[in-house]
Amino acid sequence: MSNHQILDSNTHRDLRVHTQPDEQRGDGVMACLAVPLEFRRLQNSFPILFRRDLERGTVAALALMGFEDGENLFFEDGRWDAPARPLALAIQPFLVGRPAGDEGPGQVHIDMDHPRISNSGEGTRLFDDAGTPSPHLETVAEQLGELDQGYRASADFFAAIERYELLEPFSLDVELADGSTQRMVGYQLIDEDKLRELHAAALGDLHSAGHLMPIFMALASLSNLPGLIARKNRRMGHG
Amino acid sequence: MTRQQQPSQHAPLNRIIVVGGGTAGWLAAAMLAARFPAGSAQAKSITLIESPDIATIGVGEGTWPTMRATLESIGIGEAEFLAACDASFKQGSRFDGWRDGSEDDRYLHPFTPPAALEPRALLAAWQADAAEQPFAEAVTAAASLCALDLAPRQRTMPEYAGAANYGYHLDAAKLAALLARHAVERLGVRHVQDHVEQVEQGEQDTIAAVRTRHHGSIAGDLFLDCTGHAGLLIGGHHHVGWVDRSDVLFNDRALAVQVPTPADAPIASQTIGTAHEAGWLWDIGLPTRRGVGCVYSSRYLSDDRAEAILRDYLARTAPFADLSTLAPRKLAFPTGHRERFWVGNCLAIGLAAGFIEPLEASAIVLIELSLRALCDNFPAHGDTLPIHARRFNALFRERWDRIVEFLKLHYVLSERTESYWLAQRGQESIPPRLADLLILWRDQPPSSYDLPLADEMFPAASYQYVYYGLGGRTAPSPGDRSARLNPAIRQRARALTAAMPTNRSYLAALRGPASPSTEVA
Repeated sequence: MSNHQILDSNTHRDLRVHTQPDEQRGDGVMACLAVPLEFRRLQNSFPILFRRDLERGTVAALALMGFEDGENLFFEDGRWDAPARPLALAIQPFLVGRPAGDEGPGQVHIDMDHPRISNSGEGTRLFDDAGTPSPHLETVAEQLGELDQGYRASADFFAAIERYELLEPFSLDVELADGSTQRMVGYQLIDEDKLRELHAAALGDLHSAGHLMPIFMALASLSNLPGLIARKNRRMGHG
Repeated sequence: MTRQQQPSQHAPLNRIIVVGGGTAGWLAAAMLAARFPAGSAQAKSITLIESPDIATIGVGEGTWPTMRATLESIGIGEAEFLAACDASFKQGSRFDGWRDGSEDDRYLHPFTPPAALEPRALLAAWQADAAEQPFAEAVTAAASLCALDLAPRQRTMPEYAGAANYGYHLDAAKLAALLARHAVERLGVRHVQDHVEQVEQGEQDTIAAVRTRHHGSIAGDLFLDCTGHAGLLIGGHHHVGWVDRSDVLFNDRALAVQVPTPADAPIASQTIGTAHEAGWLWDIGLPTRRGVGCVYSSRYLSDDRAEAILRDYLARTAPFADLSTLAPRKLAFPTGHRERFWVGNCLAIGLAAGFIEPLEASAIVLIELSLRALCDNFPAHGDTLPIHARRFNALFRERWDRIVEFLKLHYVLSERTESYWLAQRGQESIPPRLADLLILWRDQPPSSYDLPLADEMFPAASYQYVYYGLGGRTAPSPGDRSARLNPAIRQRARALTAAMPTNRSYLAALRGPASPSTEVA
């Protein structure tokens, strides 16, 4: 269910939204969209994996936060426990709206059915009494712009890594401390061997387009997998 | 009484007898019981004797931020406290009409100190940057929370933590009831409901026991006199004299009422003290009512005139109230304190120690500070009682002096012309230390050099808020570096005012998310 409205300083003058990370308010997810623009910020906390949409033939990047649907292991006793927060989560319940076919700057939309919408008088206001955007809304607007820009630029990035065939399928059997196994299938990651074999012209091409840095950031992010497994074990009461 | 029951001077002081309930008695019992927990090596036996038919006064309905640490230390959760005591947040005091009584004459004394800058730099920044803005608004973002009736914290923050500094407004009778329940049920305090009829003298100047009507003689090693103005032990038994301070602070009467408020009425974030022709009115907002009182000097104002002032204030500020049914309660109070607060093995706590008009809510904090001083310096045995008594008496005499001086500061810069206000500025009524400071502050801002005690009652920031709030001025000195003050504070104010709920929303959410109309099946 969603109820998208164009954010407006009159209609939404007194509206408050919950800004704290909250599993019950839209952050209880095992993964979320990540754009190459934010890989550098995310690579220290989350494994960044890729997923191919076979029907549409597109690729998307994801920040991994759990191993099962609805599981976000970056909540410890209800508190968000990571220095970074993916843009896709941080901007909730806002989104960028843009009329079909319009390439101009987007508008800030808000999902009035999102659980971050507050009806209790608690939460953070979007406007002050005079209708001036609050610092929180200013921050969100910046993040929305970044996400929008990053999303629009990502097509180029994915085309480039497809062009050089840098993705390889990835599956992992995660052995947990209780002896059970968690199987991860359907993901892709950067093929390190192929990356190493790229000739100078290809590297120059990727570098000049700004794709080389996110590729290495995604590679580096895989070192977060053991940490994520440790979180899973902790939550299961082992360790 | 047998010889063995006499407290030996070398024995530890293990039996503490608190005489009197009310805020002072129960706060004392709870703080002691939490500090010397039952079942631990330091355990003490604590008995509170409360006379069943003496009503408590319950004047102090505003606390200082110290109350947060006090409640936490005795093991009461903040949400439980707020709900049980019909409490709300107090972020400071606002003083209306104290300078000249004109329409926009008001200033704020927030608990939150100015954004950190050394006093000279702070003053220079205000003078250079925002001199047209009231001092408090210019130097702290907390002022904007007060202006919008906003809470100092969000419910998701850890208990007793805030984005701005705060204490509480509360129902004093409910606080005493909560403390009593907590002290008896969770902290092991023994509660005796009985009349104390006689005090039994021990060796030298100590008290051995108090004799009660139905429970016989109750012996103790240390006695706390929490019997209010009566001062049953400190005055009735020890005959400690009274130091009258009405030569400095003239008010000696109060008319108090409670006005029920509509369920959606805003709850103010600060105590509002409004000056009138011969005193001032307090206004304390709780979730269900406002406590309003008219404080005045009987030398300058008749009771009838005081009631008229009170009714006029309510008509202006509480139009929803039915004034015809209100019957103000009249309180007469002596302004002053005991010559000594600790004699032998007896300490006077609360009104038994003294009382001063509630202009800066000093009543409850003095109870907390007395107990803190006692607990931190608890005599290991009877031998050291006289030393502890001397130290405690010196410290608290100093504290009363500071309170008297600080309250006087609220009057001396006024430009009001009624005879009461002219007399308040009479040179003979101004304590010499304060008179000196007023001269110095023309050239240098109030600073910690003015307040040499290790644990001052009021920080330099409080003197700055009141002095500059009332229009006091300090000459800029050449070469003051002018720091930029405003952008960071304004940005913080914007963030805080967006993120904090109103006091009303916070307290409503505390009582449960569902409104009655949605609960009906």
